[in-house]
Amino acid sequence: MKILKIPKKDLDLFASVLPAFGKLYAPVKRGSGYAFDQPASWSDVTLAYPRTILPPRKFFLPPREALFAFDAGAGYRDLLSEASERQVLFGVHAYDIHGLNILDRVFAQGRYSDPYYMTRRKNTAIIGIDFDPDAQHFARSMAADFADTGFDLFLSDIGDDYLVRVGTSRGDDMVVMSGCLLSEPTPDDIAEFKRRSSERVAAYRTGVELGDLPEILEMEYHSEVWKELGDRCLSCGSCSMVCPTCYCFDVADEVDLGARAGRRVRTWDSCLFRTHALVAGGENFRKNRSSRIMFRFYHKQRGFVAEYGRPSCVGCGRCIGACPAGIDIVSVIRMIRGQSDAH
Amino acid sequence: MNQAKTVLIIDDDPDFVRAVGHLLRSAGYAVASASNGRDGLAHAKTARPDLILLDVMMQDRTEGFFTLEQIRDVPALRTTPVIVISSIYSDHPVFRVSPESGWLPADLFLPKPIEPARLLAESARLTAPGYVAGEATTGKGSELR
Repeated sequence: MKILKIPKKDLDLFASVLPAFGKLYAPVKRGSGYAFDQPASWSDVTLAYPRTILPPRKFFLPPREALFAFDAGAGYRDLLSEASERQVLFGVHAYDIHGLNILDRVFAQGRYSDPYYMTRRKNTAIIGIDFDPDAQHFARSMAADFADTGFDLFLSDIGDDYLVRVGTSRGDDMVVMSGCLLSEPTPDDIAEFKRRSSERVAAYRTGVELGDLPEILEMEYHSEVWKELGDRCLSCGSCSMVCPTCYCFDVADEVDLGARAGRRVRTWDSCLFRTHALVAGGENFRKNRSSRIMFRFYHKQRGFVAEYGRPSCVGCGRCIGACPAGIDIVSVIRMIRGQSDAH
Repeated sequence: MNQAKTVLIIDDDPDFVRAVGHLLRSAGYAVASASNGRDGLAHAKTARPDLILLDVMMQDRTEGFFTLEQIRDVPALRTTPVIVISSIYSDHPVFRVSPESGWLPADLFLPKPIEPARLLAESARLTAPGYVAGEATTGKGSELR
């Protein structure tokens, strides 16, 4: 992997050439939080942010997208071209890069690859940046605190400069395009990178033990914890909406008033919603809130491990902040483990 | 009588705006101005100028680059000719990305200080009926874009 560095003071110049690779999105302040959005100028961009409200998943699986249009006279019209806009996501944290790598396993590398997702993935450059963990981050426990793949460039703060890891040929094109802004790091720069990496690892204040969790979940299938959580959960689906790896969706045909034309539309869904497991005939496989929240935990921490070899949680902590009922995944796992500090 | 072509100058330097505005008015153009990218974009959306002169280094030293991207995002402005006028290359020698390499979706880059005769000639060329507006953004640079 090629490793370079860029002075922090020249990052704005570097960012100026990035639109040559696609529409630029970066973390900008939105109310009391942060969101990936198009900056009006470089000073709108905040690179030292804890987490964005929504993860970058929205660029690959939009909350709502039309898949194709149909018309009684003209037939079907594929809308895949609408997914082909080139984009550059600047300032993506390692856990969100892991989130995208996890989505790849489902939408790009699975049995049924999704052309809409794959088109956006191919046309989107990812520039990662490191972060200082706060009280809700537990990415370290989920092995998602450091990204070694899934980015074009990755920036690590080493003081007056960023150390830049080049992950792809597209990242290398960005380096070439930006002329002489990047240079070789010195041994002192590498030493500073290692020092800060160790500091960052030590900065995590919360975490969970994953090793035997799938088996413990197996043992706790009938635990009272699920009933207790079902009583608290509002089934609002907020945790799913802010999750970097949730990918449930609903598909419906929206027909025009004349009933001769329409579009097939895909929208985000959540396993917490009452109708998620409702099928024709009125049968609902997960009628109770407790069964739905239990499913969410089992899918992420047990089912996904069995299918793909790792949990589909990256420890970003967004669901902890988003839950209006105060359900905290770290506490839930500790409760399931019977640990005394659970609350 | 033909209506005067309109030019929007987006620059935070009032002396530059006054001087270039006077030059363009004397050549028969109607001139409007904005002192930052945000106001310039808002004005361009409503007034639909025939030509935009855009500075780069305003409140942010790369503000004009971002404004240009936003201008090109507006369908009605996608083919509006834009001349980027800046001293960024002389002020920041470390920035060695040639405007001729096609990365900038402008029709023309002119270094500051400008040559009045060249500005008038290029303004006339870019607002002439035969000019294919936005040519630069669909030409060589489009391979990268």
